[in-house]
Amino acid sequence: MKETKRRLEWFSIYDRTGMEKHLARMAEKGWLLDKIDSGGWRYRRTEPKKLIFSVCYFPKASAFDPGPSEEQETFYDFCQHTGWTLAAASAQLQVFYNERENPVPIDTDPVTEVDAIHRSVKRGALPSQLALLAICTLNAAMLVGRLVGDPIGVLSSPANLVVGICWVILFLLVAVEWGSYFLWHLKAVLAAEHGEFLDTHSHRSFQIGCLVVLAVVTVYFLAATFTSGNRLLMAVMALVLFLYVPAAFLLVFGIKGFMKRMKASAKTNLAVTLVGSIVLSLVIVGMITFGTLRAYNSGWFSRGGETYEYNGTTFTAYQDELPLMLEDLLDGSFDHYSRERHGEGSFLLAQYEMFQRPRYDAEGYRGLPDLEYTITVVKAPFLYGLCKDTLLHRYDYWNDDLPEELWHSYQPADPAPWDALEAYRWTTEFGPANWFLLCYESRIVEITFDSDWEITPAQMAVVAEKLGS
Amino acid sequence: MPRAKFQTLTEQMFYILLCLREECCGMDILDRVPSMTGGRVNVGSGTLYNLLEQFSGSGMIRETHVEGRKRSYLLTAKGREMLDKEYERIRIQAEDYRRYVGKE
Repeated sequence: MKETKRRLEWFSIYDRTGMEKHLARMAEKGWLLDKIDSGGWRYRRTEPKKLIFSVCYFPKASAFDPGPSEEQETFYDFCQHTGWTLAAASAQLQVFYNERENPVPIDTDPVTEVDAIHRSVKRGALPSQLALLAICTLNAAMLVGRLVGDPIGVLSSPANLVVGICWVILFLLVAVEWGSYFLWHLKAVLAAEHGEFLDTHSHRSFQIGCLVVLAVVTVYFLAATFTSGNRLLMAVMALVLFLYVPAAFLLVFGIKGFMKRMKASAKTNLAVTLVGSIVLSLVIVGMITFGTLRAYNSGWFSRGGETYEYNGTTFTAYQDELPLMLEDLLDGSFDHYSRERHGEGSFLLAQYEMFQRPRYDAEGYRGLPDLEYTITVVKAPFLYGLCKDTLLHRYDYWNDDLPEELWHSYQPADPAPWDALEAYRWTTEFGPANWFLLCYESRIVEITFDSDWEITPAQMAVVAEKLGS
Repeated sequence: MPRAKFQTLTEQMFYILLCLREECCGMDILDRVPSMTGGRVNVGSGTLYNLLEQFSGSGMIRETHVEGRKRSYLLTAKGREMLDKEYERIRIQAEDYRRYVGKE
């Protein structure tokens, strides 16, 4: 039978009410808290009994202290004198229990209690949490900026989407936690003036909900990455997840623990942990970057393809699968061609760019036809209008300094031959170009043909058949 | 609006200072306050620790003796003045009560 067990407990740092109730319930089940550290809360098996818990705060304590200070020991002596035994402590947080039936509470004055909580919070969690909030806000703002500038690029990339969602969730977690704290503190100060203690609350459902969303998007991202075939991204992700993140945690906790064992002062420990973690993190990131670059240069992440020399330069020709090829539109052989497909997709959108171009070493390559198109697959219907507008207007900035008669833009065209819902044709001061935007039910196709290509209705029908659905 | 610090004393502050007319340590205070008040007033260990720190910081008490972790304190002139002021405030309140309610 296990004599100890560890649990990850989700409490706001100031939620003494929630912690006290929870610990009393655990004691009734025969589990007494005996340690709080980076691995969670550790309980040891005891005889089930009714215990009264008191969670209080010692502002002068620090997570970097080598052990309880003399002042802290004096505080423990006072508590012991009134029947309170220390169960566990972590930085400013101090957890006591009492076996007496109606013990004198540790805090009998709400003013000093609120003051101790506030000083502990200001000295302990708040600075790092405010820094985290600033980083989250910056990243969320950058995401919004990118979303405005390139919504399709952001929303069709699982990496962008997941990282963006993570920052937003982290922002919400920190903002709700600390917004609630300051609101509670304001009310608690007023209540204390009237001699009343104010209960505290955690936002466990909200926190757990956020963490579930984080877990789901992370799993989704990993699945998307490891099924994408993008070996470079897979390798970097694997290194970051399985090397960098565990190493970063181990470094921080390892250095802190080592300095504690060496009985270094809290200030020295903090300085060494901070500097050591930054330096070693940079070293690991450098190693990952160096290793990835070396592997890339050695061809580890090559997509295959056939290399060939032309005019002293090495080129690669690919033979990717394309939904529409020149073979579908024209007669003849297109053996000396490279077919490339790039792009990625998320659960909201996908965008793929595809090219079929003659190799440079093909005879008369300058005169050979080529084909280029982009397919935007709109999986979330509410994004259709946004995608269409973005694609229609993404080159508007070209016209910024031009008079209106020289503007380049998409102009409506007849969608019927393309079997599309809407069609647009790129138009310049020289007239219509062979560049089309075709709107189908859940996808938008942008296709470019050579300028001297006379596109026939039969070819348009083939485009509709191959790319329209 | 928050009350200015030590402008008036809470009951617990009053009895802690009252105990410290003579030298005593924290644990003595924890025992003496309930016995002085017939169990009506109790001071929690955390509250006592914080108040001793605040009183000491504002010069109302001073540390007189340190023996290991046991520290003894004594009221200073400033603390005595504060205690007297509080007594006067309570006394005037009691007189006002007698003047108005005592007549009924």
